[in-house]
Amino acid sequence: MSGDEKGPVLQFATFQSSVDEGFWHGLSSLKLNKLKTDETPISIMGFYTPCSNPHVSSHLTLLAESLPTEPSDGLPTATTHGNRNKCSVPGTLYNTNTLEGYQSLDKKGLLQAEGKKIWEDIRSGKAEEDSSVLLRFLVVSFADLKKFHFYYSIAFPAVVLDPPATLVDLRPASEWFTLEEAESVSACCNEWRMSSLTADVPFFLVCISSNSNATIRPLKDFKACQHEDQKILFAFYDPYHGPNNPGWPLRNYLAFISARWNINKVQFLCYRENRGFADLGLSLVGEALIQPSQAWQDEEHVPKVIGWELNKERKVSRRVDLSTSMDPTRMVVSAA
Amino acid sequence: MVLSQKLHEAFKGTVERITNPRTVSAFKEKGVLSVNEFVITGDNLVSKCPTWSWESGDPNKRKSYLPSDKQFLITRNVPCLRRVASIQEEYEAAGGEILLDDEDNDGWLATHGQPKDTKGDEEENVPSMETLEISKKNTIQSIPSYFGTKEEDDIPDMEEFEESDNLIETDPATLQATYIVAHEPDDDNILRTRTYDVSITYDKYYQTPRVWLTGYDESRMLLEPELVLEDVSQDHARKTVTIEDHPHLSGKHASVHPCKHAAVMKKLIEPLIAAGLEPQVDKYLFLFLKFVATVIPTIEYDYTMDFDLGSSST
Repeated sequence: MSGDEKGPVLQFATFQSSVDEGFWHGLSSLKLNKLKTDETPISIMGFYTPCSNPHVSSHLTLLAESLPTEPSDGLPTATTHGNRNKCSVPGTLYNTNTLEGYQSLDKKGLLQAEGKKIWEDIRSGKAEEDSSVLLRFLVVSFADLKKFHFYYSIAFPAVVLDPPATLVDLRPASEWFTLEEAESVSACCNEWRMSSLTADVPFFLVCISSNSNATIRPLKDFKACQHEDQKILFAFYDPYHGPNNPGWPLRNYLAFISARWNINKVQFLCYRENRGFADLGLSLVGEALIQPSQAWQDEEHVPKVIGWELNKERKVSRRVDLSTSMDPTRMVVSAA
Repeated sequence: MVLSQKLHEAFKGTVERITNPRTVSAFKEKGVLSVNEFVITGDNLVSKCPTWSWESGDPNKRKSYLPSDKQFLITRNVPCLRRVASIQEEYEAAGGEILLDDEDNDGWLATHGQPKDTKGDEEENVPSMETLEISKKNTIQSIPSYFGTKEEDDIPDMEEFEESDNLIETDPATLQATYIVAHEPDDDNILRTRTYDVSITYDKYYQTPRVWLTGYDESRMLLEPELVLEDVSQDHARKTVTIEDHPHLSGKHASVHPCKHAAVMKKLIEPLIAAGLEPQVDKYLFLFLKFVATVIPTIEYDYTMDFDLGSSST
């Protein structure tokens, strides 16, 4: 690795999933009442927030409402729109009918296919309008409804930069900004998070004018604010809590910034909160160098994608046993 | 679940169905909340402590007397960095008095303390890589810390990935082993950080808020409700904290039983009135959460401390 002059390779902390019991209950009833033996992939929603505590990262959470509602087709109801603690992220669920089916799924191919969707949204500019597509995720599962065991794997597809981005600088945002700037940035981030129109928009621009005044602009305003005399930081809701690395969402963000706007030197803001308010001591500002990939010139080219989440044992598959809460016979026993 | 508890639940359910929810305010006199007051104080909690939000929950479990988008309050992913027992150990080691209230002598303390802890450690001490080699005939019966079983050998893992270049393990731009963090006590690097989803529902029978806990281990796998009791003050575990069906969510969850809530709230409100303050109902939940913190001292949910409980405008 050419780490001599450009600094070390920028390393991203992996995203982690958290699947609520309600999701499995919901999937069970969806399978029994509607999907039956249909294995067509379905669109689901995941939810996340910026990290909101110095000790724990936030997760991509799957809840009962992640699944489509049973009577109607299509996407889950958008009732949670604007909920600051549930920024919605689009995902795809492949639920198989058998364990063998689950085992034999071409997981590498599915990941690459999901990554391709992200790549296409980057190229087409769709990610400018709806930045949550940069966070697309993938779930493969098998629900054993006789034993109430659920087997699953989750991936957070990330476009691999080749060569990897390198890190020039990374430090707490409070050290990077002047006091005046920090105050202004905190104020406008809190405002962004308080408004139901923007609270669940995970990627945005922080523009700082020469008089230390910060404003937040949506991604699609990039061209407009580029010409103004101000610093632009590429900001995102960072689920990771640690002080030395940015979180996973920055990966596709950098790919987007590089491929869409052809920028090689990116200043980014990993936005994090404490107790629900902007915390610039916990948030990070960094500078990364991206070398444009030659292969990306080719319209047909799709970069390599990685992202299967590993569990504690560093395996991809997980199993949850919900027989104690779902099995009617067992519930009778425990009640006696 | 104990039979008497079951019977009481059935009785309570019937009463809830045939009685109307409280509409007249009585929080100063009795420490209880009307439905409207619950919504008012909930709104205030959400605005002051934005990690809390209102949720509508399972549509089939919706209570008609509450607004559909304000059925209950929840704050997710709340860290719980250590077990209650470790705080007590530290306190004892420092020469403090033993906190345990054993006067009832009902024996539950003994079973709950040391044996379970060693089991937990034994399991957590297993280095993650070595668990791959544990044979199928693992004779040591260990209680899983989450809703999975430990003999995961039959879980199909993806052999196709073994030679693959698409693994995050071999990616130079991925930070490896994020489960190990630096905030651990002492010299071990065992991660004890659990997280909780804490929710508050309105209990129509007792006319008070009610707190529910859903626990997750360090890799965010669901904790067995029994293990949640390790994060409950030992004075309350299995007495005031029980494991029951959540009124708006799926599954069994640990809950602080609300039978004493009104009395406690009344006790907390009385001195304010005595001091000539007018207690404000929108602050009810802050006071309530402060009291709940004595039951679950290591679960670090947010409730603002620096506020006036009453107003002196009267």
